[in-house]
Amino acid sequence: MKIEGTFVDDDSLVVAEGVGRVFHGRRRDIEALRDVDLRVGRGEFVSLLGPSGCGKSTLLRIIGGLVPYDSGRVLVHGTSPATARAAKMFGLVPQSPALMPWKTVTDNVRFLSALHRGRSQYPPLSSTEVDELLDAVGLSAFVNAYPHELSGGMQQRVSLVRGFALGAPILLMDEPFAALDEITRSDMRYLLLQLWNRTKATVLFVTHSVTEAAILSDRVMVMAPRPGRIAAARTVELPRPRTVELEDDPRFFEVVRQLRADLREFHAPPIEPR
Amino acid sequence: MSRRILWWLAPIFGVVGFLTLWEVLVVVFDVRPFIIPRPTKIVASIGDDPSFYWRHARATIWEAAVGFLIAFVVGLATAAVLAHVRFVERAVSPLLIILQVTPIIAYAPAIVLWVGFGFKPIVVITAIACYVPFVINATIGFRSVDPTLIELARSVDASKIEVFRRLRLPSALPSVFSAARIAVGLALIGAVLGEWFGGSKVGLGNAVKTAQGQGLTLQLWSSIFVLALIGGIAIILIGVVERLVLHWHSSQRDLE
Repeated sequence: MKIEGTFVDDDSLVVAEGVGRVFHGRRRDIEALRDVDLRVGRGEFVSLLGPSGCGKSTLLRIIGGLVPYDSGRVLVHGTSPATARAAKMFGLVPQSPALMPWKTVTDNVRFLSALHRGRSQYPPLSSTEVDELLDAVGLSAFVNAYPHELSGGMQQRVSLVRGFALGAPILLMDEPFAALDEITRSDMRYLLLQLWNRTKATVLFVTHSVTEAAILSDRVMVMAPRPGRIAAARTVELPRPRTVELEDDPRFFEVVRQLRADLREFHAPPIEPR
Repeated sequence: MSRRILWWLAPIFGVVGFLTLWEVLVVVFDVRPFIIPRPTKIVASIGDDPSFYWRHARATIWEAAVGFLIAFVVGLATAAVLAHVRFVERAVSPLLIILQVTPIIAYAPAIVLWVGFGFKPIVVITAIACYVPFVINATIGFRSVDPTLIELARSVDASKIEVFRRLRLPSALPSVFSAARIAVGLALIGAVLGEWFGGSKVGLGNAVKTAQGQGLTLQLWSSIFVLALIGGIAIILIGVVERLVLHWHSSQRDLE
């Protein structure tokens, strides 16, 4: 584990430099992000870790071209986020599964690739590949089921596969497991790594779980609130493929300890301890 | 098993029970037929001359259906605009409310004055009567899409038309169905009213009007029964279609 120096890599798929964003509230302005620098290399798995209100979701949405930014610049594959979005470069996996209740699992998985068809330079996965992904997450018996027939964990697996099925080079994941119970969550992390292994997509993963960030990431950006900023960047030097046994490894404990220390350092508790 | 059968028969118990009570009360208190006839008499009188009631019912059903469908199409088109442009919605909503709270019976004669007698005013009155519930419910429905689904669509730069067709339209179906249930009753009111004011020679509204004029209590009540039957069947049909179309919606899963 080492502290990042200036990360210089011409192969960066996502480049953010000095990005700032202010939300103008009714009473006062909120500085959601200040002077954020971020580079994500091709095929990298990068997590944005931080407490709520640190701007991690906003940063994800700025990179995805869903939210505008006020200062700095963002380049995705050398173009603006809006252009990248129009070229269908992003596979979004939101916090809630957000499946269409009137469509079957197969049709839901195909939702993103069916929209804005023909505009993408990145072909969606073939139906055989999609079936393989559904099989990998244990849903092959449910392809014709409707969302209301599935458990919350199964719905979130559909949502994951939907993100991958688009075939986009960049996956944006916004706390996709936050609403799941701890046991399901733990399974989902390794399922995600399996899918990621197959597709080799670049992943930006927002989370407030230290363990999750440690298990999944190549690098972790520790974020702090008021104003939202990147407080520390850590490389997770744990071997891949990562399995559940890793969670008992001292090296894993060390990563978790370091990330916790980073979070504590930059996150002032709202109430001073007595 | 038997609980299930009882569950399904419950509505029939309700209707038959009500009619039996009516029958018994009329007999016990010896109410004279020109005030209120016994249900059995009413049903028998329909059976005596079914072609008479069928001829009138057919006309009324046709008028109500055409008016209902016009309201459905125009109402959904209006709602599609209102759901997208908040300003227009705000500007138009007082007009919709005025249209809804003003009794249709008050401006029915004015409509006859504009479009003349016959089939046309009946359909126009029916369509106006059904229009507002379709607009209001469909507007709410078009807006009821899960915001995360909208964001997902935005994340691949989907067009407004795609979002409308793939997300807003299906999301609006449950509220459009509840509008349709409300509109069934309004369509029958519109059709009967239109026949009444439009100088129609046929239709159940016309049968009610002549029965009133000539003091034919039994014909009056038979027409009422046929109208109730038409409305009931229409609601059942809508329910059947709803179950098929909205099998995915939670409203269809509350039984058992």
